Amino acid sequence: MPSFTSQIPNLQAVGPVLELQLAVGAGAESALKKSKIQVPSPVRALALIDTGASATVIQQGMAAQLGLNPVGITHIHTPSSTNVRCFEYSVRLLISSNVIVETTVIEAPLQGQNIQCLIGRDVLAHGVLVYIGYSNLFSLSF
Amino acid sequence: MPTLLDIEWETFELHREELVGRSEGKFALIHGDQVLGVFDSQQDAITQGYERLGNVPFLVKQILRFDVPQNFVTNLLGI
Repeated sequence: MPSFTSQIPNLQAVGPVLELQLAVGAGAESALKKSKIQVPSPVRALALIDTGASATVIQQGMAAQLGLNPVGITHIHTPSSTNVRCFEYSVRLLISSNVIVETTVIEAPLQGQNIQCLIGRDVLAHGVLVYIGYSNLFSLSF
Repeated sequence: MPTLLDIEWETFELHREELVGRSEGKFALIHGDQVLGVFDSQQDAITQGYERLGNVPFLVKQILRFDVPQNFVTNLLGI
């Protein structure tokens, strides 16, 4: 089972964060290659595993950096807003060399703490998240 | 002025009842005013969208009578 494990000295304060790479999804990659268009390089992002998020989010502007067009629309509720319309994009999350997740993500503005991606329960639904607080350690397996 | 996928969203709404009647829970692939197909999974619909249309905007939408919004408790979302 492909697995990613991280130990962070101040896990309680920082949360389960990891650096990943965001790449175009398999469908877009094939379409670009078929059209003889160069596939954009993956973009680095600091991600927070967020069990309070029902779906995965990327920072506004990242889809454009990858040359992606939307493949869906969804509506979101946040603590301060309801029914906000957002676009969905098909991407690949490269969490480590052996943990790669093909999924759709919502693009929305993320503020503060330099987080560019929230890994939500749609991704966690396919895996196992282990959070060992007293060891400042977490792991994600698929 | 219409924004991206407005036409596709209107197309889905126009066909929602009919689609719910025959394919509830599946995923519709829509481009412009055309429903191009219905698929068992979101990923299948997206793959077909890219194969048939290339890297252009298209709408893959789960066929539900009532849409369920995504929920976030974080204050990191700036909306």
